[in-house]
Amino acid sequence: MTLNTTLNIYGQHVDSRLLIGSALYPSPEIMKQAVLASGSKIVTLSLKRQNPAEQAGAKIWQYIQELVKETNGFLLPNTAGCKTAKEAVTLAKMSREIFQTDWIKLEVIGDDYNLQPDPIELLQATEILLADGFKVLPYCTDDLVICQRLYDLGCQVIMPWASPIGTGKGLMNPYNLETIRLRLPEATLILDAGIGKPSDACLAMEMGYDGVLLNSAIALADNPVQMAKAFSQAIIAGEQGFVAGMMQQRQTAHPSTPTLDTPFWHQQG
Amino acid sequence: MNANKDDGKKMKLFINGQAIEVSVEAEKPNLLIALQHYLTPEQQQQSFAVALNGDFVGKADYQQTLVNQGDSIDVLFPIQGG
Repeated sequence: MTLNTTLNIYGQHVDSRLLIGSALYPSPEIMKQAVLASGSKIVTLSLKRQNPAEQAGAKIWQYIQELVKETNGFLLPNTAGCKTAKEAVTLAKMSREIFQTDWIKLEVIGDDYNLQPDPIELLQATEILLADGFKVLPYCTDDLVICQRLYDLGCQVIMPWASPIGTGKGLMNPYNLETIRLRLPEATLILDAGIGKPSDACLAMEMGYDGVLLNSAIALADNPVQMAKAFSQAIIAGEQGFVAGMMQQRQTAHPSTPTLDTPFWHQQG
Repeated sequence: MNANKDDGKKMKLFINGQAIEVSVEAEKPNLLIALQHYLTPEQQQQSFAVALNGDFVGKADYQQTLVNQGDSIDVLFPIQGG
């Protein structure tokens, strides 16, 4: 099975609509196998402090570099942990130097409890980074006006959440997500965060979303490699369903089997 | 630089939140000296990026960026992320 079209990230065409996180896996090797099984070409990663005695990060970075080389894929660094526009801008610049990419998954968190993005700081950081040549992929809530503002600033990719990060609650507000799709037909929309099941990803694609970004749902599965394959197939199914054009819902039942010449139909005794 | 005599003074810096004392020579210490003091030789060969007092400093600028008493330096390394 192949996708009908490619995912467009600021003009870069990518032949998988699944973006996958590299965290929370039982081991680096399982992470690598899961990414390969998913068919994803975009892997997210981050930057953190590391004490001199600590060497674990170096091994993970080596695995991710090997993966990206093997899949001919792309790195998507994030600004996880940032709470202000200034922090996010600094971290984005640090990421650009290390990872040699101007792509940045922009996260600016406004609430510690549900990790909800701060829309004010997010817009400020987006404006600064776009002006500095970054290709910003902002992680935001499912608020139409915020998405519209991000698009107006110049974001070609927008990533509203399905539900809070790591909850696995799926699409909390399908109406909002559908509205964003309808009102921003030219934007590349990627559903990011909160996805729990392959059917959640399929539903987003059936709505016409361009892609899905997830981590926990695969990494925390009993079998991450198998779950990665399941998500890959769900995304393809949803995308092909959207492209094929779905029937309209109807209020009353309509028989599928032709009724003409039905045996025993209204047979008078 | 090595010819300068150490006057015995120490400068306190905060690297990744940890208080570090760096010897102050006649010449003011720069970011490169501070990083060499903090990072192991292995880490110095790895990929990392640096911010000084919350602002990014590019690799090419470490040597010409002076550090001052109480400065805060962040040294960040690649790690898995979602």
